[in-house]
Amino acid sequence: MSMFSDPFLVVALGCASLAVLVLVWYLVRRPALTRSTKVVLLFGIGLLPIATAANGNIAGYHATKTTRFCSSCHVMTPYGDDSTDLNSTSLASRHARNELFGDENCYACHADYGMFGTITTKLGGLRHVYEYTFNYHQLSVDEALVKMEILRPFENATCIRCHSMQNPTWNQVGDHASTLDSLRAGTVSCASEGCHGPAHPFSKDAKRRAAALQPLGAAR
Amino acid sequence: MRRLFQFRRLRAITITRLLRWSAVLTMIALALMVWSMLQPTPLPVMLAMSLGQLLGTMAFALYGVVILRDLRRVRRERRDSERTHREPVAEPKAGT
Repeated sequence: MSMFSDPFLVVALGCASLAVLVLVWYLVRRPALTRSTKVVLLFGIGLLPIATAANGNIAGYHATKTTRFCSSCHVMTPYGDDSTDLNSTSLASRHARNELFGDENCYACHADYGMFGTITTKLGGLRHVYEYTFNYHQLSVDEALVKMEILRPFENATCIRCHSMQNPTWNQVGDHASTLDSLRAGTVSCASEGCHGPAHPFSKDAKRRAAALQPLGAAR
Repeated sequence: MRRLFQFRRLRAITITRLLRWSAVLTMIALALMVWSMLQPTPLPVMLAMSLGQLLGTMAFALYGVVILRDLRRVRRERRDSERTHREPVAEPKAGT
């Protein structure tokens, strides 16, 4: 998908270009401060930059939901690569191939639900940036796979948004029916091993490998 | 009188300089915003939404200051010119 398919981005870039034209004209020509100059500068310094910021914020908000944005931190690369890998059979990748998830497949599952879900998700994102900058930035991808953990257990409510527990087909599955109370209470995760997950199995494999090597290292 | 003229000239220069600063700040803010749009990764996006918008707001505030000062100058000049027109011309006393 081209980045210029976002109309907010196109409008923001257009407003920014016009504002720059006005400002360069003012700085180069240095006209007297007449009424017409003030009006032109009102557009160049006020209205056009405000329009750029408003549209740019929306475009930026859209951009922060994309997988490309999430994968831009190097420790997230394997997760992004896995989700776009057509041969991968991981839970995350299978969901990412669904058209409804599209370019926003990380956000679709990791966003909080509810009225203020977007806000809490973005606040959580700021924490991710903090953690990345101060704790994980210097780690290699392999080290990060071992050390990084999801902050809170993945909530079943996220799965239930699409896979309703009220659906008769869902209830026909014996394991679903027998664990219904535990699933609702969140004591059993849909994405746990033995059920449908883990969503990103390669990270669990890396942790397992590291745990297997640790006693050997300690023995030395 | 000469000192007053110099003061007004200084104020005029300050207004021009303020506007130039405002234009430069706006261009830096726009550059940060455009960078975040062309390369939407965490650092540019956060810079655009914090520093970029702070600089843009400061630039607009400077523009507002310039406009207010200019409006006050125009009003003061108008008031002064009205006062000089209203003052009656002193008539010479008889017998002098």
